[in-house]
Amino acid sequence: MFSVINSEWYKLRKSKVLFLLLVAPLIGLFIGLANSSIEIEEINAWHEKLVMMNFTYAILFLPLISGVLASVICKYEHQEGGWKQLMALPVTRGKVFLSKYLLLILLMLAMQLMYLVSIYLVGVIEGITDPFPMDIVWKSIFGGWVATLPLIALQLWVSIAFKSFAAPFAINVIFTLPTILVINSERFGPYYPWGQPFLMMNIGGSTGDVFFVPWDQILTVVGSSFLIFFIGGYLYFQKKAI
Amino acid sequence: MEYIVETKHLTKSFGKEKAVSNLEMKIPKGEIYGFLGPNGAGKTTTIRMLLGLMRPTSGSVQLFGKDMKNNRIEILKNVGSLVENPSYYPHLTAKENLEASRKILNVPKKRIDEVLQQVRLHEVANKKVKGFSLGMKQRLGIAAAMLHQPELLILDEPTNGLDPSGIIEMRQLIQSLPEEYGMTVLISSHLLSEIDQMATRVGVVSKGKMIFQDSIETMRKFAQASIQVKVNDNEAAWRSLLANGQKADLEKESVTLQAEDDEQVAASIRYLVQLGFSIYRVQEEKRSLENIFLEMTKEEQAG
Ligand SMILES: Nc1ncnc2c1ncn2[C@@H]1O[C@H](COP(=O)(O)OP(=O)(O)O)[C@@H](O)[C@H]1O
Ligand SMILES: [Mg+2]
Repeated sequence: MFSVINSEWYKLRKSKVLFLLLVAPLIGLFIGLANSSIEIEEINAWHEKLVMMNFTYAILFLPLISGVLASVICKYEHQEGGWKQLMALPVTRGKVFLSKYLLLILLMLAMQLMYLVSIYLVGVIEGITDPFPMDIVWKSIFGGWVATLPLIALQLWVSIAFKSFAAPFAINVIFTLPTILVINSERFGPYYPWGQPFLMMNIGGSTGDVFFVPWDQILTVVGSSFLIFFIGGYLYFQKKAI
Repeated sequence: MEYIVETKHLTKSFGKEKAVSNLEMKIPKGEIYGFLGPNGAGKTTTIRMLLGLMRPTSGSVQLFGKDMKNNRIEILKNVGSLVENPSYYPHLTAKENLEASRKILNVPKKRIDEVLQQVRLHEVANKKVKGFSLGMKQRLGIAAAMLHQPELLILDEPTNGLDPSGIIEMRQLIQSLPEEYGMTVLISSHLLSEIDQMATRVGVVSKGKMIFQDSIETMRKFAQASIQVKVNDNEAAWRSLLANGQKADLEKESVTLQAEDDEQVAASIRYLVQLGFSIYRVQEEKRSLENIFLEMTKEEQAG
């Protein structure tokens, strides 16, 4: 199993797209710095930064970048008979699928951590003296990551299904853009996969829970959509003609 | 006999059409098996099933005496393959392509340089495969197939896209494998001449059916030359030969001897001379393997 992930990491690393992981945290950093003039009355100056930064990061860049990475990790398999070559090696399809998925979610975790660094840097540069709200930030960082798990499973599924690079990308953009509207809907907001990262990262949700979203909602929405997308993609790949 | 590859009633349907039909392939250890058939005969489909890339509609595949269905991973550890067009990662160099497979195969790093040397790509090892010619990509595919020194090497039309000197090199490489490494090789082609020069056994497939499977020698016997004799009175000569127990056919302007060997030809000619026939010409007429192959295919189509 480790050898398969290692091989996947090798192929992805050489495709020179990993710089994308820096893009979102950097943009977060700029947004954090750019809006320094606005003063909102807050208990803690960090909160203001978090609200601003999380918005674009979680709604736009997080789902877009995870989608691009999912496409890339399949692109070179689609291109010149890569699937054929890979599946003629002594490795099961299940392991290949799982390896690609695990690699993607690990990379997204890395991106979340870099975003955490961005948040901290903004504070340092702006000279925020309030105590760093570690618990809140962790909720946001880790919760946002958990919320991307089903989304990445879906993106991987779509990327395996479409030979072209453009198709999964277009689909991802089409579903990412309306997120701003959908999350404001009480009825659909909690169930929209692309909206989950924002809902989970948005501070100021219910603070009593482990995450900013109530447990039962995490379990039902994130948990069940993860199961549906992961199992769906897994089975699809098992049956796919190569 | 112990077979490295054995399929039983192997069948694959696409919709109503049977791309492979009741195919029984048997490859003994250490042979170079030429899998011969025109385009669309079902060679690639068969090979895909041998590798477990595709599930048979019915029938079974056994490699090394183990059933593919339940032992795929174990079997594939000992199989190297090149299926149809060469497969590669365009964004990687030749070396990096092999490294991606090597990580999964768990073989020592030095194997990469060894196989690159074997297919003579060592000088372009660090170039992106994107810019390779078709022949170079093909050779890289073969290098990848040999990376883990498999017991069975399956090459689907490996000389496609190679120039004549490339084909000769490939042939020499393939022919050395059974001796040097004890490998068994399955090589498919739509060109009989190619198989004729490399293979020790032949399987001919047409429209998904195996229409001939035997040693190359047996195949060549089909191609045995016949001897044409032209005399002053062909019909009289033909009767005399038949009376003497020599199988012969009367043609328009000659008699064709169906001689088993040279001595028999000599005896028949001596006999005709003794009877006083004037012998104008004795010539050999070779049936090319192409002809036989065509005939086999035709028979199958008629039947
Ligand atoms: N995935 C597929 N779907 C439908 N038909 C196929 C597929 N693959 C092959 N065929 C058909 O099966 C037949 C055999 O093809 P193939 O095995 O590629 O022949 P060969 O390799 O001998 O040229 C052809 O008629 C081809 O059109
Ligand atoms: Mg073919």
